[in-house]
Amino acid sequence: MSQTRSDSDFRGASKYVLDEELAKIINISMSMEMPLLLKGEPGTGKTTLAYAIAEALNMRLIVLNVKSNMKLVDALYQYDTLTRLNDSRFGDSKRDVSNIEEYIKMGKIGQGFVASEKVVLLIDEIDKADTDFQDDMLDVLDQMQFDIIEIDKIITAYKRPVIIITSNAKKDLSDPFLGRCNFHHIAFPDQDMMRDIIHVHFPDISKELMQNAIRSFYKMRDFKGIEKKPATRELINWIRALKADSDFRVKDLIKGDIPYLGVLFKKSPDYSLARNLNLRMRL
Amino acid sequence: MFTDFFYLLKRINIPVSPTSFLRLQKALNMGLIISLDDFYISARAILIKSERYFDLYDQAFAHHFKGADLSEPNKFELSEVARAMLDDWLKDPKGLSELLGIDEETLNKLTPDELLQYFIDRLKEQTEEHHGGNKWIGTGGTSPVGHSGYHPGGMRVGGVSRNKSAVKVAMDRRYKDYAQDGPLTQSQIGEALKRLRNMVPSGPKDVVNIEETIRQTIKNAGEIFISFDRRLKDRLKVILAIDNGGWSMDPYIDIVQTIFSYSRNQFKELKIYFFHNTIYDKLWEDPSRMKKPLYVEDLARLDTETRFIIVGDASMAPYELMNTDGSIHMEERSGKPSYEQLKFIAETFSYSIWLNPKMANQWPLTRSINLINEIFPMFELSLDGLENGTNYLMQKS
Repeated sequence: MSQTRSDSDFRGASKYVLDEELAKIINISMSMEMPLLLKGEPGTGKTTLAYAIAEALNMRLIVLNVKSNMKLVDALYQYDTLTRLNDSRFGDSKRDVSNIEEYIKMGKIGQGFVASEKVVLLIDEIDKADTDFQDDMLDVLDQMQFDIIEIDKIITAYKRPVIIITSNAKKDLSDPFLGRCNFHHIAFPDQDMMRDIIHVHFPDISKELMQNAIRSFYKMRDFKGIEKKPATRELINWIRALKADSDFRVKDLIKGDIPYLGVLFKKSPDYSLARNLNLRMRL
Repeated sequence: MFTDFFYLLKRINIPVSPTSFLRLQKALNMGLIISLDDFYISARAILIKSERYFDLYDQAFAHHFKGADLSEPNKFELSEVARAMLDDWLKDPKGLSELLGIDEETLNKLTPDELLQYFIDRLKEQTEEHHGGNKWIGTGGTSPVGHSGYHPGGMRVGGVSRNKSAVKVAMDRRYKDYAQDGPLTQSQIGEALKRLRNMVPSGPKDVVNIEETIRQTIKNAGEIFISFDRRLKDRLKVILAIDNGGWSMDPYIDIVQTIFSYSRNQFKELKIYFFHNTIYDKLWEDPSRMKKPLYVEDLARLDTETRFIIVGDASMAPYELMNTDGSIHMEERSGKPSYEQLKFIAETFSYSIWLNPKMANQWPLTRSINLINEIFPMFELSLDGLENGTNYLMQKS
């Protein structure tokens, strides 16, 4: 293994705990220059991962937040017709109105292409857009170039960005799309992994609090009928709340007295369900 | 390399494409994959495109590589290898003894048979403690020993999280939950219902209409006139009527609950009503069907563009549907049979469907289903049925 380890390998970042499997997948995708598609339930750190990669490899991160009504061209470039119209009318800007290129603004993917250094390009929640968008985008990412129709200029990626794509959908994306990326599904972290994660966020946390908070957390995740299960983000916030409360004693958790349920359960039916179940457990 | 494995995946119906297989070869050639662990992970990332197949992949992987990995190398293999070593030994005694880290002199004293036995013993030992050297026997790691010698902790780099070899990880079948043959889940239903959209302009005028702006500007003799439009928003109205009464719906409660909770998140203008068996005079806003009734004739006052979806098994005695006093509830006897009321709903809302949790092949057996099917287009409450149903609901708009 050691011969492929180099400085550009990804091994985790200051606030991100990486399991080895995922690390390998990222490294292999980076060396093969393939986009990496990440799926997994909310709160498993799909988006955070891109931030962590950017931080660890010291690259700039460009985030494209996909929206449902987004067209591919929006992500590539924008032709600012309005400004041009305005400039042509008043003629008081420094821009040359006859030169359309001056009114072309790069979109997020475009920015990634023209950047002089290698960047991390995060395409977040791709499942929100329709399939045409997805397929067309992968064409662009495959060829690493696109055409600005207005000025008939082809933009080619200067350095192939590291591309991370996330999706929340359980349904599969289209076949041509999947054919062009590597795939990984991030499972919800197990308790050991969660301990590591908590430790990264709270280096000074007492062992007792960590053990019991995590145990209660997993117990509550298993409650039947919960619509939105609390995820890592909720756990971190909850522990933060517990730590901030000077009246809180770890013993309460052991007894089954769970404060700040609202931090964990964000939907009111979930909240009341969890409270009832907790009360019952205590009795 | 690993063509067998590829075909094994194909044979168990995992969609794997030749392109991705070639890509895996590329990764192998680039030297990115140098252990079975690496192979397990990379082949999965490159070949398998959905977590639903992870479990199958795990099983296939364990099956395919188990012989070489988990079981102890059998005697035959060992003696073969030992013989190969003996050959090597005869050719180059010094090199081999150096590789093994033993004194050449000690080996020299042994007879060929003893030597063979010694090698076999060493090999057995080696399968238990094997630190890093996949080239132990000198044939580029592809010899049986190279494989069998694979040992958790040996090849694994770091071994941080779960000290398990790839095959053991595969044997765990961690992805069982995501396997395909599970029941309908909320998000699957969500995917099917996603098409139920009706984009109409609403909200403030904040999107520039370029065409119109240019036209207006020309009209305005070159004086710039910017024209704005409203943004498109999803304003689809949906009514969901659910049969929540009677034991005949009991087996489907889970699935109906799922569709129920999903649609609550999905549609901004969603009304949910309940009924028992079939619709007579009233629909109910509360699941217990006690407090808040809505009279069927009042439905006429609603937007007729509303998509009306009924979920129920449509199974009842024919008289419950056809008779004027079909309802088992005394107070619901207005003189109109349910059949007429359903017709009224279907006429009021031109986009209406009936979703039936019973599978379609059972429909012809129940008379009331046939009757209702004449009024409403009926679809199975399955992913396919939902998709066909939503297509139907959206086709005319």
